[in-house]
Formats: sequence, structure tokens, C-alpha cells
Amino acid sequence: MTAGTGAAATARTTLLDAGVRAALRAAGAAARKGLGDPALAELVQIRASQLNHCAFCLDMHLTVAREVGVSERKLDLLEAWEEAGDVFDERERAALALTEAVTVPTASGFVPDAVYAAAAARFDEPRLAHLVGLINVVNSWNRLMVGRRIPAGSTRW
Amino acid sequence: MTTTEERIEYAPEHTPRMQWAKHAPEVYKAMVRLDAAARQGLDPKLGELVKIRASQLNHCAFCLDMHTKDALAAGESVERIVQLSAWEESRHFYTEKEVAAIELTEAITVLTDGFVPDEVYERAAIHFDETELAQLIAAIAVINAWNRFAVTTRMVPGHYTPGQHR
Repeated sequence: MTAGTGAAATARTTLLDAGVRAALRAAGAAARKGLGDPALAELVQIRASQLNHCAFCLDMHLTVAREVGVSERKLDLLEAWEEAGDVFDERERAALALTEAVTVPTASGFVPDAVYAAAAARFDEPRLAHLVGLINVVNSWNRLMVGRRIPAGSTRW
Repeated sequence: MTTTEERIEYAPEHTPRMQWAKHAPEVYKAMVRLDAAARQGLDPKLGELVKIRASQLNHCAFCLDMHTKDALAAGESVERIVQLSAWEESRHFYTEKEVAAIELTEAITVLTDGFVPDEVYERAAIHFDETELAQLIAAIAVINAWNRFAVTTRMVPGHYTPGQHR
């Protein structure tokens, strides 16, 4: 990560309980394993991090997404996936719609039946449970990173 | 005057969409460990206020059922629970430390409106030392996760008994 010339990138705090860190890592590893689709997992984690404005998380997951072979075109258009035509397939679209609904319950008011049903049509129950788990794990990391203002690219988090 | 025997017809109870913990047991077990870790060093009554406020913002009925009952069981007053959704107009029900924690809860819960304001973080940092503050942030993140699990899978409120999930 190249240093920018903007405001000094200093975390508010880098403290985080070791038990919290370990448990959330374990939850994330279990969720990704159960979902069984590393590329989709990164799309979901990036989209949630966009909604939650988590710079550290975006930096990390965009890097991983490229490592696991997610196309630049998908990464470029992810924020406007609904309008991106066939760049995203139906399974990805269902997962992204669920990601948005679960991430922003304060705006959408619950998770709409249509969104849940579309996801349930494309993911069996174990995969759907792990997808919901993954959405929650990344939301938790988003909150831990934004709350403590961990700079993008930081090695201490 | 109605009699106490009069039967009230409530709307029907919904059913959950999915038993997520059964389908993702390793995720659930890690979440339970996470919850226990985030609880360490945080005053239980303050913790319940934080959990209730986040659950209000996230519209989590199941979580409100659980955490209002746990709060009452921990000695919290009905008045402070009722006033919590309008705490800005009832600040004198709460200590300055509690207000700082509630404000931080709101900022970290609604990240989609943009970041956690410096003044909110700094007020919390006056009342909580760095370690306590890290635990408070963790607790806020964790209740947000439980809220989202429960809302997404539409867990049914009303059947919780205090202490059940301890």
C-alpha cells in the first residue's frame, strides 16, 4: 500500500480483545467454507464494506478478490450490480441483494420476503445459512474497523 | 367495564424462515464464543442498554424481547427501557457515561450514513478507558450481528425467559 498525501492515517485504537478477534476469525472461516465459493464470498464482503464505508475492509477484500480471480469488470461494476446487466449471474445477484438487505435493516425495514425468497431459490439451506453468516461476519469487521478507524492497508488491526 | 376473562384476538404468530444455527453450527459456535469474549469487562446493565438501542435501530423484535427481559432481570428500570428510543430528550434518565455509550452505539450501528463522528468517539473515550472502549465497540458489533441473524431468519419474539442464552 502506497502512502497517500492526505490526512495522517492513524487508528483511534488498535486494541481488540484476542478472544473477540479469534472468534470472529473462526466464524468467518466457517462461513466461507460452508458457502464454498471464494469469489462470491469476496463480492459479498466487498459490497457490505462499500455500504458500511469500511476503507480497511475494501482494501483487504479487493486484494483477496483479485487473488481468487474475480474479474476487474465485476469489481468495477459491483456498486451498481443491479444495473450491470449480465455482468453478474442470477446467483450472484441474489446473494448481493441479500447482502444489502441484511446490511441495511435500518433503511429497508427488515429483510423483504422477495429478497429472501430469491436467495433461498438459489442457495440450499446450509449454503444460505453460511451466506447469512458471512454477511454478518463482514458487517462485524466493518464495525470494528470503522469504529476504531483502522487505516486502509494497516498491518496493525 | 370489560371482564378479565375477555379473550383478545391477536394477529397470528409468524414462523422463522430458517434454523440457521442448525445449518451453520460452526458459525454459531464461533458467534457464541465471540459474544462471551465481547462481554468481558463490560458492565451488564450498560451492556443491555447498548443491546436494546441497537436492536431498536435494527428493528429486531426477537432481540428486543430478549434484551429487555435480561435488562429487567439485571435490575434495570422500566422507565429507562421505555425512554431509550427517545434518549436524546430524556438524557437525565441516564448517566453521562451511558449517554456516551448509547451515542457510540448509534454511530457504529448506522454506518451507512457515514463513519463514526470524532465527537461521538471522543466523548466515549472520556468515559471509557482504551480497553473498555475496545470492548464496548466489540459488544456493539456483536449485537449488530445477532440483530441481523434474527431479522434475516425472522426469529420469533415472545418466548424468551431471562438468562436463557447466558
